Amino acid sequence: MLMFLLVRRTVIIRRMYSVPENITMFSAGAAAVGAVYPMIMAHTGGHGLPCPLRSLTGVPCPFCGLTTATVALTHGEWGTAAKTSPLAYLVAILAVATAPVLVARLFGLAPLPRRASDPTRRRISRVMIVIVALSWLFQLRRYGFV
Amino acid sequence: MAYQGTPSYSGVPASQYSDWIHRVGAYLIETLPALIVFYIFVFAVRVAILDIIVYLAFLGYVIYNRWILGGQGQSIGKKVLGMMLLSEETGQPIGTLNAFLRDICHIVDSIICYVGYLFPLWDAKRQTLADKIMKTVVVPAQQ
Repeated sequence: MLMFLLVRRTVIIRRMYSVPENITMFSAGAAAVGAVYPMIMAHTGGHGLPCPLRSLTGVPCPFCGLTTATVALTHGEWGTAAKTSPLAYLVAILAVATAPVLVARLFGLAPLPRRASDPTRRRISRVMIVIVALSWLFQLRRYGFV
Repeated sequence: MAYQGTPSYSGVPASQYSDWIHRVGAYLIETLPALIVFYIFVFAVRVAILDIIVYLAFLGYVIYNRWILGGQGQSIGKKVLGMMLLSEETGQPIGTLNAFLRDICHIVDSIICYVGYLFPLWDAKRQTLADKIMKTVVVPAQQ
């Protein structure tokens, strides 16, 4: 398996991946880290990636709680993850849904990803803005600002 | 057809810029081992004089890997994954000073809750904000 991956390394590097596939690969890595994160943090005493906005002003950003939620998800603490950051659930669902495409592409079974059309990209941008705004509202509520 | 009509640098179509996940991978490859060694010495070994040496060694590693090698086009992570950091305008490596300044510009990527680091996911030239400021691109290395 390792030789297979090493031989195909150049092809894998040159291969283009769609945005969801990029996110899926990152999520897989994040899940792996999340699984061992408490062990690491127990020894270093850290609290995860500091949020610049919260550190400077005390106000949380839309992405606050993602580290805690990722760790919770990888340990099967579904309620904790939902209460901390529903955004983590959305990313996890996207990652799981995209995983088959990614696997197909790694084995050369899927065609090159096609750039989404401009109207589609605009629609996706609008949806993302709404999702991020809702996540921000959620975090502001979680920290008692609203 | 994939990525037709998108901006190019020196005639290279946008689809030839390195994917975001490859840049993340390169960063992890060159950072994680050093961080693990760092944490082992600082948190596990806990010998005061060693702490100072380890901090200096880590700084030396950053200077060598990210600014000297990076300025020549390929830090360790980029070399392993076959990518190059080049000037958008000249197509050449940016040199040590500019590599250092580019790392300073990563403050801009970080200060907006690290969203700047996500820009390569949707940007046409797959640039972070630091790349846009320093006019750099990351592309697959030529064989």
